[in-house]
Amino acid sequence: MEENKLEFNDWCPGCGDFGILRSVEGAIRESGLDYKNSVLVSGIGCSGKLPHFVNAPVSGVHTLHGRALAFAAGIKLANPSMKVIIDSGDGDTFGIGVGHFVSAGRRNVDMTLIVHDNGVYGLTKGQASPTLPRGEKTKSLPKPNINDSLNPVALAISSGYTFVARTFAYNTKLSTEIIKEAIAHKGMALVDILQPCPTYNDINTNDWYKDKVYEMDIDPVVKDPSEELAKKNAALAKAYESDGKIPIGIFYRNSLIPSYEERLKDDIPNYLEYYPAMQAIEKDGRSTSSVDSMIERIRMV
Amino acid sequence: MIGGAQGLGVDTSATIFGAALAKAGYYLYGSREYYSNIKGRHSYFNVSISDKQIKSVTSRVNILATFDAETVFQHFTEVKDFLIYDKALEGTKLEMVRSLEKEIADEMAAVLENEGFGTTLLDVVKYLEKHGCKAIPVEYGSIMSGIINEMHLQPPIAERARNMISAGVSFGLTGLDKGYLIEAIKKTFKNETFVNLNILAINAGYALAKDHYGLKPLKIDGHRIQVDGNTASAIGKVAGGLRFQSYYPITPASDESTYIEANQMIKSANADGKDGGVVVLQTEDELAAINAANGAALTGTRAATATSGPGFSLMNEGISWAGMNEVPVLITYYMRGSPATGLPTRSGQSDLKLAVNVGHGEFPRIVVASGDHNEVFSDAVEGLNLAERYQTPVVHIIEKTIANAYSILDENSIGLKGAKIDRGVLSGGSDDYLRFKFTENGISPRAFLGQAQMFYTGDEHNEFGHITEATSNRLKMYEKRNRKLDLADAEIPDEYKLNVSGDSDTVLLTWGSPKGAILDAMDDLKAAGIAIEMIQIRVFSPYPAKKVAELLKGKKRIIAVENNYYAQGAEILAEHTGIMPTNYILKWTGRPMTKDEITDAVKSIVNDDIKKVVLHGGE
Ligand SMILES: Cc1ncc(C[n+]2csc(CCOP(=O)(O)OP(=O)(O)O)c2C)c(N)n1
Ligand code: SF4
Ligand SMILES: [Mg+2]
Repeated sequence: MEENKLEFNDWCPGCGDFGILRSVEGAIRESGLDYKNSVLVSGIGCSGKLPHFVNAPVSGVHTLHGRALAFAAGIKLANPSMKVIIDSGDGDTFGIGVGHFVSAGRRNVDMTLIVHDNGVYGLTKGQASPTLPRGEKTKSLPKPNINDSLNPVALAISSGYTFVARTFAYNTKLSTEIIKEAIAHKGMALVDILQPCPTYNDINTNDWYKDKVYEMDIDPVVKDPSEELAKKNAALAKAYESDGKIPIGIFYRNSLIPSYEERLKDDIPNYLEYYPAMQAIEKDGRSTSSVDSMIERIRMV
Repeated sequence: MIGGAQGLGVDTSATIFGAALAKAGYYLYGSREYYSNIKGRHSYFNVSISDKQIKSVTSRVNILATFDAETVFQHFTEVKDFLIYDKALEGTKLEMVRSLEKEIADEMAAVLENEGFGTTLLDVVKYLEKHGCKAIPVEYGSIMSGIINEMHLQPPIAERARNMISAGVSFGLTGLDKGYLIEAIKKTFKNETFVNLNILAINAGYALAKDHYGLKPLKIDGHRIQVDGNTASAIGKVAGGLRFQSYYPITPASDESTYIEANQMIKSANADGKDGGVVVLQTEDELAAINAANGAALTGTRAATATSGPGFSLMNEGISWAGMNEVPVLITYYMRGSPATGLPTRSGQSDLKLAVNVGHGEFPRIVVASGDHNEVFSDAVEGLNLAERYQTPVVHIIEKTIANAYSILDENSIGLKGAKIDRGVLSGGSDDYLRFKFTENGISPRAFLGQAQMFYTGDEHNEFGHITEATSNRLKMYEKRNRKLDLADAEIPDEYKLNVSGDSDTVLLTWGSPKGAILDAMDDLKAAGIAIEMIQIRVFSPYPAKKVAELLKGKKRIIAVENNYYAQGAEILAEHTGIMPTNYILKWTGRPMTKDEITDAVKSIVNDDIKKVVLHGGE
């Protein structure tokens, strides 16, 4: 049985995903998570395999390319007692799944999205991902990248994410801390992790990043609704900082926006205490859901 | 039949008219047709009345109630007895009605001109009188201004009562007491002004008509409900324990989801039970809708989504994932006119083979198609049961015509009280739990997220749920998944998989909505000396091949009756049994089959040996 529980890790040697894996494992351990109270959801890509490689007693749901957020929302809203952590590639998140990414901000479901931001589509052999800057030609590309890149941090802030951070895969200390904070945050959190892909991205390598990333010193926390706009603007300015240095850390954090689950309580007052997954729908093989009031309303005689 | 511009209360008046007849003890079937438009385009309700439960409409209209010119021009050829029309519009010419589609305008102008008439509405009245119909002119304008003055109302508020005048005239023709209509109004409107306004409109209309049909109130045993297909599915799902529904807006599916949301707090029938809520999630697209439902299902919540053709196409990949991961998820498929956006507000059966083959790859799909409102209720419950019992996606097909039509039904015929709930084999979880454990019949006891450690992946996986491409595992796991369909085939009774009605060597083989028209046509055909048997397939996967082959053995004529071009249900029959239909009755105009169309088509097949009849009735 035990040999079942861990899958052979087949990432390339030196892949930044190993750093992310260590950080996720650390955050899981230090946050007291296991299969009873949490689940790891992932998309498709090298990054998507992460749940299978985690050395911790958690469950994993390895979904479809781009759709991890949709699965995760279903899990979380049916069972809001679960901590839901999502690992997704940058192609996954900002290419094929970008609609879900933006919509997740509008909902502010209490979940943590970790993006493996490597600038390429790793598992399909290195095509340009939506975060690769225009004009860059990694060794996997036949021509320089023709598209402009998007900025995950800025997109998250403008989409309504209430916790937005960027870290670096090999800074496992900071990454672990930030993932823990994101898990603890009540609302939709993005942790964008800059991740070297030594196999296909020979531009944004470990050495390249090492000289550029620095832990920024800003106060990202919105303490009063009146601060929201100013904090967002400051975070956006920081997100676009481009003087050769890359700030990492928490850009924006706002606990004053109600989560989707809290919003649902307006319609379903006992939603958090008696959520869908725990409701008894059957007794002795018979339905316990009464539809009497609905039938009454359509009763003609 | 009542028609008028969309957004002006045609639905409301048809519903109230129906409710009044129900109160007088009659059964009804009302079919609704409308454009993909919000305001202004032509819409109509075709309502049939009977002293027993009926499931279809006729194409020969006794009373055509109108308050605009377009309805008159579009439908006058269908009228048998009465036309109710606005006297002020007598001078309106057909070619002046710009929303009337050119093809229809040309056709109708030709009908009038052939008999030497002009193209004004008054010419239509003369045409009808020549053909033995009576026309009842109504001075809507002056009636309305009288009411407006009497009640001191603003004209725009009052306008919606205009169509109640024609409902009043129609009701007068039935010979039933107008008290039924007034009762129905009181039940529909809470606002006293609206009640009074509509009662005045009814009174004015009722006074214009004399009893023609001589209907008498009938004795009523028990309660009766008035329900459309969207509502039936919504109520059925809730009774079946649904607690999570995701959807992206699309006609004609979204009304189901918004109905559930409006009624999302569910009372528990247990004495000690707590009220619980159904989460209804409006997603950003159908990709999210299916996959959110998949996610919810993994937590042990009964989860579903509802969509129609375009959305169902987008759901393919998510349904494939559900098949691979043995997820119990219900997809309610409101089938409309395809391909692409097709006829967005019309009906169709052209996606049956898509439903049966949805998602890439080989995995068990269970596909159930309802033939009437009673079946919609029970299939919604059973769909959730089958999904959990066989841990696989279930597609429940409801055609647009059933979704938007309403029936008056005996309340105890829907059988939702204490509906049977079958959650399949549950594990509860353990330390050595294996989500995809190999078992004899392919069913692995199910634990929910939170109950045990488990993995799901769209890649081929081992019993634990980890990825493996080893052929030894692939061989077994692949077969384990697919074996569940054999089990479902063996366990789901034939009485559920298909319905047989009548006994004859002429079989009408059908599925879905034509069922109603066929059943309703049986008596007329019998009177014409033609006995028929109807076989309605309800479960297309697993397909009841053995039973159907047995039933069809030695039959002289097998007539495939479907609302599509290829006769897809018959193609599936052929795929499983090698049996081909001898004849076809097909319709792909997006409008439902009527009982007269069936009657005429069967006659021409039986008497004149016509191979294939293509129907196009209704507009
Ligand atoms: C619908 C669909 N289209 C395409 C693919 C093929 N595919 C697999 S992984 C991948 C890209 C992965 O890139 P990314 O999300 O950045 O993850 P990474 O491998 O870089 O971690 C693609 C396009 C797929 N699995 N599904
Ligand atoms: S291709 Fe790149 S991202 Fe994928 S495992 Fe190899 S190094 Fe890592
Ligand atoms: Mg990538």
